[in-house]
Amino acid sequence: MDIAKLKAWEMREKLLKKEISSTEILKSHLEVIDSVEMDINAFITVDRENAMETAKLVDEKIARGESLGVLAGLPIGLKDNIMTKDLRTTCASKMLENFIPPFDATVVRNIRREDGIILGKTNLDEFAMGGSTETSYFGNTKNPKNLEVVPGGSSGGSAAAVAANEVAISLGSDTGGSVRQPASYCGIVGIKPTYGMVSRYGVMPMSNSLDQVGQFGRDVRDAYLMLKGVSGFDPLDGTSSHKSGVNFELENASLKGLKIALPIEYRDLRVTGDEKIREVFDNTVKLFEREGAIIQYVSLPHLKYALETYYIISTAEVSTNLSRLDGIRYGYRTENYETLDELYTMSRTEAFGEEAKRRIMMGTYALSAGYQDEHYKKALKVRTLIKNDYDKTFEDHDVILSLTSPILPFPFDSIINSPVDMYKADLYTVPVNLAGLCAMSLPMGEVDGLPVGMQITGNRFQESKIIRAGYAFEKVVK
Amino acid sequence: MITKDEVNHIASIAKLKIKDDEISLFTEKFDQVMSFVQKIKEVDTENVEPTYKINDEDGFLKENGESQTLTREEVLRNTVDTQYGYFKILKVVE
Amino acid sequence: MGYKTLIGLEIHVELMTKKKIFCNCKNEFGGEVNTHVCPVCLGLPGALPVMDKEALEFGIRAGIAFNSEIEKEVRTDRKNYFYPDLTKGYQISQADLPLCKGGHLDIEIEDGVKRINLERIHIEEDTGKQLHTEDGTSLLDFNRCGVPLIEIVTKPDINSAEEARLFLEKLRSTIKYIGISDVRMEEGSLRCDVNINVIHDEKKIKSRITEVKNLNSFRSAVKAIEYEEKRHKELLEKGENTDNETRRWDENLNETVIMRRKFGASDYRFANEGDLPAIKIEDTWLHEIKENLPELPHEKKVRFMVEYSLGHYEADVLTGSRELAAFFEEIYKHVNDSKLLSNWVMGDVLRRLKEEDMEIEALHVSPKDLADLILMVKDGKINNNTGKKVLRDMFESGKSPEIIVKEQGLIQISDEGALEEMVERILDANPQSIEDYKNGKDRAIGFLMGQIMKETKGKANPQMVNKMLLDKISLR
Ligand SMILES: [Mg+2]
Ligand SMILES: [Zn+2]
Repeated sequence: MDIAKLKAWEMREKLLKKEISSTEILKSHLEVIDSVEMDINAFITVDRENAMETAKLVDEKIARGESLGVLAGLPIGLKDNIMTKDLRTTCASKMLENFIPPFDATVVRNIRREDGIILGKTNLDEFAMGGSTETSYFGNTKNPKNLEVVPGGSSGGSAAAVAANEVAISLGSDTGGSVRQPASYCGIVGIKPTYGMVSRYGVMPMSNSLDQVGQFGRDVRDAYLMLKGVSGFDPLDGTSSHKSGVNFELENASLKGLKIALPIEYRDLRVTGDEKIREVFDNTVKLFEREGAIIQYVSLPHLKYALETYYIISTAEVSTNLSRLDGIRYGYRTENYETLDELYTMSRTEAFGEEAKRRIMMGTYALSAGYQDEHYKKALKVRTLIKNDYDKTFEDHDVILSLTSPILPFPFDSIINSPVDMYKADLYTVPVNLAGLCAMSLPMGEVDGLPVGMQITGNRFQESKIIRAGYAFEKVVK
Repeated sequence: MITKDEVNHIASIAKLKIKDDEISLFTEKFDQVMSFVQKIKEVDTENVEPTYKINDEDGFLKENGESQTLTREEVLRNTVDTQYGYFKILKVVE
Repeated sequence: MGYKTLIGLEIHVELMTKKKIFCNCKNEFGGEVNTHVCPVCLGLPGALPVMDKEALEFGIRAGIAFNSEIEKEVRTDRKNYFYPDLTKGYQISQADLPLCKGGHLDIEIEDGVKRINLERIHIEEDTGKQLHTEDGTSLLDFNRCGVPLIEIVTKPDINSAEEARLFLEKLRSTIKYIGISDVRMEEGSLRCDVNINVIHDEKKIKSRITEVKNLNSFRSAVKAIEYEEKRHKELLEKGENTDNETRRWDENLNETVIMRRKFGASDYRFANEGDLPAIKIEDTWLHEIKENLPELPHEKKVRFMVEYSLGHYEADVLTGSRELAAFFEEIYKHVNDSKLLSNWVMGDVLRRLKEEDMEIEALHVSPKDLADLILMVKDGKINNNTGKKVLRDMFESGKSPEIIVKEQGLIQISDEGALEEMVERILDANPQSIEDYKNGKDRAIGFLMGQIMKETKGKANPQMVNKMLLDKISLR
């Protein structure tokens, strides 16, 4: 039996039935890592020793007959912007190349509490800025479905690790699609929970009013399990919600009677000329209809301003969130400085990559005196209009269906040099973060041998609706 | 149109330096991006309140929370230079 | 009319909460370097702030005490700038919507009561400390980073150094009253910046505003204001003007020196602090805070005027600190004579405190002992001068007045027979004085009285002796 190829929930069932041990699960994944990691480069750091130790502790717990957490024995990959005590956390940047946090993020504490096995820290776009994992200081991650194309990003390493069976499940972070888009590109399931559902404490912020820790799994149930393991109110995160936490049944889920909205703006915008992707989506919509879902076109008129709004708000927040990286208390410090200004400027200039610098610059501009009202404050108002559009749609619809990405996973070095084109590829995912909604990407087919993902979006704290809908869809196509 | 001077000014506020041989390309890309976002100017936002927080819950206060205070070793472990338990930098000219 | 000076103050007050404002580190002065530090106050990646309930409550208390309008929703902003003592590249502060809007504080000046209006009071976090060493390095300690502060900003309603001093003293005592800070300038828990310029209405000229920082005592604030006032006027007189600049007070030079010039407004790129969603201040909580607030200085002053029939000035002085007022009220319970009591406290007691530069809390004399002393004088057991002597002894030894009087045999001689005998004897020995008195030299009585006091070591009842002297002289 090849354990690493199982779904996480299958591993867990076998573990509870004592058919396999936690140590065996881990070893099986380590073998996969040994054979594929050279090609994939999903990890920045693999923490074999501690993982093995934890796996043994879980086996001892089982031997003693103690109750186990929901993530018991599951090897987990963490995006390397999630702080792990005493384990290097780099954010894929030269800036934090040698940073060893003295504390755990709340999601990490939750994983430990639920007996999960942290196997390593996965690759990402530097400080989660990018959509291809090509801006990492630690090299590209390859897409396990096709080594010639990107895995998506910014959580490319976490998606690739799950797709390549290097870990059972993983965590990423999603600011404008950074979990859903790589899930789509790698042919797996990715959840972006409602803002406030999962603690952000100990997760390096990119854009703190948009960021949310997301979950990857090889199927819906796995991603749901990951979410179950890490969600919950956190008193250390002021934006954590008292409504946080998930617990619902999947088995009885069905598409019958589900009220589905299709935004006409997406139909009209035609971001890509790729008819094949649209065809896959249209067929999926037909399938939903056949299964008894009620499909309706709706208008969300402000969706067409979502990208602009997103880039202003996110870069403004990026510019202040990354100010703490000044080379003084931690992180890279230039060797050549004589003035305070040189200490700051040279440390930051030498350590940040191009995309990080560009976004810091954009945000600084958007916040600076004289531009603040027409950029930042304006964008915050447009955000209100986008939110209102969604609120109205969800008054009489359960979920919204769309593509996850308008384009197929693309070859390395193809669009990274054209920032605006790359930003435009986020059209479907970005508005979800602006409105703080929950959404999931799951595979719905292939084009030219590459996976195509569908996005199911739900209202705030309606995770049960999107996950149950996704689960029901998955059952039908299986 | 954003000029090189403006780019340099923004860079100085952000404590970044764009190298002389990169400034032209950087300015060009920067200008592309900034003109791309100008589209939101056409949205009518009169009488619209800004959204600072996306869900409708109020913020909460802390009281009697668990202390996360670190040991001094942990506080100083990631810095380049220390002395007598302090972080140390070269004296800076003000 | 000549020049008018306009002074606005910005005062930072460290709040003495148990915890820091956004994390659960101890809020404590001193402490081993870099040991009251956690991921939040050190600004580590991903660490998030959550506002401290006590810190917010203290801020609200200040707002109530200074008659400000308390905002219903507390929002915070990031003030972005780079500095080594700042751990996140921004300070969490408040920009457009301060916790408290407006407000005022009344001070007693010679012409009566003057109202100094406040612009705002907002809450924010303190920074770490930077130490410059001799060998050319800077050392950083972040224990203070994240200590809660309120920043109080006045309108430019203050017109002289003396008014500034009175304002600062009143402000300090009010803050102590409401128990939110120990307001020690030497320890930096109260810091004051001065904004000053002068205008001349007829000549239609005014100087540009100078900001003076680094004032670490009320005295240096006063001296800096006086210095700047003069500098501004002199420059205008010469047809020149001041620059918009920041200066600091140099204690050694006894003058202000330039720190930096201000080129337009600093670009702090204020942005909403999204990590701290707006906090609603419920009416019930606000009400509770108001209820639990101790009596405020101005309320207490009015009560003292009514309850103890004191004048403006006396009531103001006696309610200058919560402890002094309590001291007064405790004695009053025994003495029941506010006029007499306020004379003693305002006179000998406060003079003594001033001489020794100490607070009423440090006084050895208990209210009960002082009450006993005053009653002994009032009842004629000792005379007024002896009373003062006994009080001085009480200050030194801390002994009760009964013991001092007994040990030193100071009980007043009010025995008529004994005094009469003495008066006769003294008159016999000083016929010249009798003569002088009859010729209209009233001073002669004083001389005779002095003789008797000398003989009795000051214990003779002065009223009785005085009356006897006059009676007996008229019979001679
Ligand atoms: Mg301030
Ligand atoms: Zn702390």
